[in-house]
Amino acid sequence: MQNRNKIIDLFAANIATAVVHEILEEAIDDENLRKHYDKEFQNSFSIAKKYRENLNPIDRPLPTEDQDQIKDKIIAKVKNELSLRIKKGYNNVDLNKVESYTKKMLGKLKILQ
Amino acid sequence: MEMISRISRGTKMDQIYISKDRHPDFEVGSYVAIAPVSRKKRINLFYCRIKQIEPIKSLIVREIFEFLSDAENVIITGSFLERGFEFNDIDLIVIDGTKKPIEKFISEKFGLEPHIISTTYESLRKGMNADPLFQMLLNKFISKKRIIFKMMPKINYKLLDINLLNSRLLIDNFDYLNGKEKYKMIRNIFAIKNFLEKKAITNENIDDDINAYFGKNTVDDSINNMLQKNKFIKKYKKLYNDIFNKIMRGIEQNAE
Repeated sequence: MQNRNKIIDLFAANIATAVVHEILEEAIDDENLRKHYDKEFQNSFSIAKKYRENLNPIDRPLPTEDQDQIKDKIIAKVKNELSLRIKKGYNNVDLNKVESYTKKMLGKLKILQ
Repeated sequence: MEMISRISRGTKMDQIYISKDRHPDFEVGSYVAIAPVSRKKRINLFYCRIKQIEPIKSLIVREIFEFLSDAENVIITGSFLERGFEFNDIDLIVIDGTKKPIEKFISEKFGLEPHIISTTYESLRKGMNADPLFQMLLNKFISKKRIIFKMMPKINYKLLDINLLNSRLLIDNFDYLNGKEKYKMIRNIFAIKNFLEKKAITNENIDDDINAYFGKNTVDDSINNMLQKNKFIKKYKKLYNDIFNKIMRGIEQNAE
C-alpha cells in the first residue's frame, strides 16, 4: 500500500509538471520554438506513463476515490506552481485551464473515465 | 563483376579503354554489355566540431540529405553524432523544407526514431540566441550547407523557466530514471546555468562544469547510473533552487 501511495505521488508530480509545461508553453510566441518544447513536455508525460503502468487496474479507470485524490493533488500542485509565477509577473497564464488540461491528461492515461 | 570506364573519341569508331590489369572475366574476346552509369551529384557534408564519424553514419546522413534535396538546409545533431552506436533516435533540423514524409523514410529505411524540427533560418537564429538547449543541440552538427551562427544571446527568462522544468524531473524521479536520462537532465541544468552566466555552451564545457560542481567522475557515474542519491540530490536541489530563483528574479525585473 505504501508503495502504491508513493507511485501515485510520483505519477501526480509528473503529470503536474506536464500540465505546468503545457500552460507555460502557450505563453511562447514563436510557433517553431513551441513545437520544440512540445517534444520536451513529452518527457514528463512519458515518465508519468511508466508509473501508470504500475497502478492497478491498468486497462480501466481507477476507483473513484483514487481518481479524485490524484486529480485534486495535481490541480493543487499546478495552481501552486503557476500562482508563484503569476506573482512574479508572468502574464498570459490562464489558471482556468488547469482543471481541463489535468482531466485531459488523466483521461489519456485511463485514470479517469 | 563490373568495371566503369569512359567512352573516348576515335577516328572512325569511338572506344572504351580498359586496363590490362583486370579481372579474368574481361579477357580479350569475351562479350560484354555496356550501359550508361547514371551520375549522381555528390553531396558535400559540412561538419561542425566533429572530428570523426563512423562511415555508416555518413552514409545515412547522405541518404537523408538526398531525400530532403529540396530543403534549403538540413542539420543533423544530437547523440547520433557521438562515437559508437548507442543511439536510437536522430535529431534533424529541416530549414525551409517541403512536406516530404521524412519520418516514415528514416524509420522504415534505418529503423531510427527521428525527432524533427522544421524551421526557418530566422527562427533558428532566434532559438540559438535565446535558448541554451538549441545552443547545446547545435554544438556539434553535420549540415548540407555551411552555416555560421552569429551569436547575440538574449535572455528570455520564460523560456529558461520551461527548460528548467525538465531538470526538475530528476529530483522527483531519481530512483526511476536510467543513467542516460539523469545525465541529460544534469546537462540541461548546466546549459541553463552557463547561458545565464553568459558562458559558452559546449558538451566539453558542460561536462567539466558538472565534474567541478559535483565532484570528479560525476559525468561517468551519472551515465552509468552510479550516483550516490543523498549526496547528489542535496547539491542538485541547491543548484536547481538557485537557478530557479535567478530566473524568477529576471521575470520579476522584466515585469517591472
